Amino acid sequence: MTFLVEAYAFFYQLADSFAFLVLCGLGLAIIFGMMGVINLAHGEFIMCGAYVTVLSARAGLPLPFAMLCGTFAAGLVGLILEFLIIRRLYHRLFDSIVATWALSLIATQGMLIVAGPSIEGLKTPFGSFELGEYSFSVYRALLPLIALLLLGALYWLFVHTRFGVYSRATIQDANMARALGANTGRIYSQTFTLGAALAGLTGALYAPTITAVPTMGQAFIVQSFVTVVVSGADVMLGLAPSAAVLAFIQSLLTKSYGQLIGQIGLLLTVIIVVRVLPKGISGWVLQRNGGR
Amino acid sequence: MNSANPLCSARSIVASALVGASLLVSTHAFAADPIKLGILEDQSGNFAIAVIPKIFAYQLAVDEINAKGGVLGRPLKIIHYDTQSDNTRFQEFARRLTQQDKVDVIFGAFSSASREAIRPIMDRAKQLYFYNNQYEGGVCDSNVFVTGAVPEQQFSTLIPWMMEKYGKKVYTIAADYNFGQISAEWVRNIVKENGGTMVGEEFIPLAVSQFSQTIQNIQKAKPDVLVTLLVGANQASFYEQQAAANLNFPMASSVNVGQAYEHKRFKAPALKDMYVTANYVEEVVSPASDDFKKRFRAKFPQVEYINQEAANAYDAIYLYKAGVEKAGSTDQTKVKAALGSGGICTDGPSGKVCIDPKSHHTSHRIYLIHVKADHSVDIPKVWDDIQPYWLGKVGCDLSKKADQSQYTPSNLPKK
Amino acid sequence: MPRWLALLDGPQTLGRGPAFWFVFALLVVATGLLPAVVDAFAITNLTYFLVWVFMALGLSIIWGYAGILSFGQTAFFGLAGYTYGVISINLGDAGLWTWFALLMSLLLPAVVAAFVGYFMFYGGVRDVFVGIVTLSITLVFETFMAQTAGPEWTIGSARLNGFNGMSNMPPLTFPWGETPIVFDGPSLFWLVLALVVVVYLGLRIVVNSRFGNVLVAIRENPDRAEMLGYNVRLYQLFVFVIGSVLAAMSGVLYTLWGAYITPSSMGLTAAALPIIWVAAGGRKDITATLLATVFLTWLSQQLAVKGNQYALIWMGFILLVVVLFAPEGLFVTVWNRLRDRRRLRRVATARKTVSLPSA
Repeated sequence: MTFLVEAYAFFYQLADSFAFLVLCGLGLAIIFGMMGVINLAHGEFIMCGAYVTVLSARAGLPLPFAMLCGTFAAGLVGLILEFLIIRRLYHRLFDSIVATWALSLIATQGMLIVAGPSIEGLKTPFGSFELGEYSFSVYRALLPLIALLLLGALYWLFVHTRFGVYSRATIQDANMARALGANTGRIYSQTFTLGAALAGLTGALYAPTITAVPTMGQAFIVQSFVTVVVSGADVMLGLAPSAAVLAFIQSLLTKSYGQLIGQIGLLLTVIIVVRVLPKGISGWVLQRNGGR
Repeated sequence: MNSANPLCSARSIVASALVGASLLVSTHAFAADPIKLGILEDQSGNFAIAVIPKIFAYQLAVDEINAKGGVLGRPLKIIHYDTQSDNTRFQEFARRLTQQDKVDVIFGAFSSASREAIRPIMDRAKQLYFYNNQYEGGVCDSNVFVTGAVPEQQFSTLIPWMMEKYGKKVYTIAADYNFGQISAEWVRNIVKENGGTMVGEEFIPLAVSQFSQTIQNIQKAKPDVLVTLLVGANQASFYEQQAAANLNFPMASSVNVGQAYEHKRFKAPALKDMYVTANYVEEVVSPASDDFKKRFRAKFPQVEYINQEAANAYDAIYLYKAGVEKAGSTDQTKVKAALGSGGICTDGPSGKVCIDPKSHHTSHRIYLIHVKADHSVDIPKVWDDIQPYWLGKVGCDLSKKADQSQYTPSNLPKK
Repeated sequence: MPRWLALLDGPQTLGRGPAFWFVFALLVVATGLLPAVVDAFAITNLTYFLVWVFMALGLSIIWGYAGILSFGQTAFFGLAGYTYGVISINLGDAGLWTWFALLMSLLLPAVVAAFVGYFMFYGGVRDVFVGIVTLSITLVFETFMAQTAGPEWTIGSARLNGFNGMSNMPPLTFPWGETPIVFDGPSLFWLVLALVVVVYLGLRIVVNSRFGNVLVAIRENPDRAEMLGYNVRLYQLFVFVIGSVLAAMSGVLYTLWGAYITPSSMGLTAAALPIIWVAAGGRKDITATLLATVFLTWLSQQLAVKGNQYALIWMGFILLVVVLFAPEGLFVTVWNRLRDRRRLRRVATARKTVSLPSA
């Protein structure tokens, strides 16, 4: 019995890390993985989603609606920023770094001035359950399921809907897509907005579990980038395996040697994976199957 | 004055020389020239939450003193630079304050890293410097005076009390850097001295914000007391996460509540049964504290919480005043000697605070703060006049021997 | 124009000819004379700004000229600082030991950079992945160093001291009869200024040489360069090492300036800052980079001194404006506009003197 409990405890930890990495990487996978825009403001989209969620919930909205508000808010901000700034930077990789870093600076400082150094947070919903000598948060146990659901929904969106197909076509070869009649400008805008909204959703989902401060984006950004990079350009194919591999390594190391080794191990894994699989996991899979 | 433009500087040197000369002729008609207080505090960035009340507190003290005629008949003037929670800014502005503004005293720094970044600059310029934050202890420096609480004041009171109330098995989780490691070392030693056992010790890098594994480790170890020495917004997420997992252990800390008022910012009951030792919190009820709070809020109604660092900052200004008055001048060598001569005290919001000549640290009244399930606070115990005895005990004696180091329990002064 | 002067000019750098070099010489001399005119603080502050120039130049070479995105410059910055600290604290400041420490703090990062570069470029890591790998290395280094607070983390007699940082390393000293020259204040300023000039001139020669042309070719199209027969990976490795040595120079000079080095010099924000200077000034030109670095470090300090809360927001807006409206970099764009205007004027004058048959 104890063995089962220990096994579940490890599995819980693994799933928890997996959820965190997937959710961190989702929005960025669309924006960076698919569109090639290095979005250093990704953490700030997450922050936006989290803040709006907390403020709406405090204003009285039930939590699920507050989370939707957070997601929409981040999406809206993404839409506006895409129109004003990002659309000029699509093929300028280095410039997108500077521009998004500038945005991140403005967002963090602006939030500090407007909302103050921190706001009162939310309580994690759903309570806890016990198993053996451990007790776990129900909400956190659900997060991996939500992450998988989102991945499934994204797969459906990108493969089985018109928007998704057009989007993938545009990103793969914009000129050809335009020649075939796609409104590429609008598709870029919609895809970016989707990426921003997903980042907002991440912020909304994690808002009841962490402290809401203007610099909270920093807690997500490194994990986001490493997950997306290891995943490679094809989000559908690579994100889940990437998160799974990284989560496994990090959980194992943290359990055996502590958080420091877990953190360093994660970063070293990324270095090795990038070296061994330069196009990420999805790139490697596609290469093996003869794709581009 | 634009310091990077040489022509501007040359011209303004000449200009100010002429103005100065004309002033000399008619000095007596003008007010006495002010005593310059340099302030290096983080008004923005990661540490702003705990530091902004400090900045208000300095201003409050200075305005009060000026209203009563200043010090030695001269008004106090604050020159404050926002160091943006960035060590390089601390270095830049420390140089600016010592070399360009030529201030008479510097107050500032929150994190130990920023203090250590500017301490060499203070020492080189022989600049009088007040550090007004709790920290890991051990700074034995002739130029530095510390109003912040140190481990022997916070842990020697907290840990034995917790062990007596809850049990002898202790688990520590600490931020993985100097402050966390040294504080954990103190906890370890005190637990051993009081016959307890460390059932676990975990060090967590500052960037970590997800604690599932840590929570499981704690549950497995089944401690009586959980000592949390977590620093920064990322690590603060631990509290909500442990409440969600229903960890339910009594927690002991020297860091929280008193600095960044987590009990006001986190949703209850994340900090249920947390015990903190601090030398002041807003919830202290006493004539001195109530009066202080009233004056503070009258002047700065926008302050979110009057924390222990605000009380330290306030006391520091008054201690400086006492030092200058005893020395009879603002000459830094004389003031340093006066401050370190013993008997320099001030009656602040937490009571009487005096500078210990051997270590240049201050004695404190220590309050034990207990955070309840609804995040309201009660104070079950108060220790009066806890001296910063450790540095003197291990061989630091600034009244007899000059020094400029920081010591730790595993890096003691050479005998 | 003398032959050796011609080496300094070329297609890869802005500014050429006797007029430009005369102004340059004038600026150098004027700056060198500053300690006689301005106060000690202005000098030490200017030294501080100049210290960052090397880091920016290194990034400009790697990123602007060779097209390699590296977030790892701050790792070499930190490594150099700590190396200087460890060696100088252990060996003391007698004789020429501090100069030995300085040399080692440039050499060790070069060796590490060679390894890292080999690992990346000869392993097929390209484009943005170089950025990820270098960023990861920087973060590993930072995370590791931040926890070295305990007494066991001592190299010889130098405690690494973790997050609180290592301090009190001796300044550079040169034995000179009775009292050695201590490089502090004006003397450090002149040393840094001299290094800036030497490095700048050296880089101009390198960048305008055949080596520089190949770098730019690699930047524009690595596959084509490879097909033309150039050993692309070797060039990339070389330039990566050069850039990293420059970052190391910034690191050791910063450590000398402040007698302090800490892991937060290697954090995410610290890694992003040089990229901002280089991008805003004009990464494809070292002169623009140099000017932009000094200007932006000065500007951000001024904003912090005066603007309080809004300082960082102003910084962000300035960067956005530059990226959107002057993507080649502010200084480069301004220079090009002026040059184009001059050219147009020359053409117009030429047209006036040569009477063209009316159409």
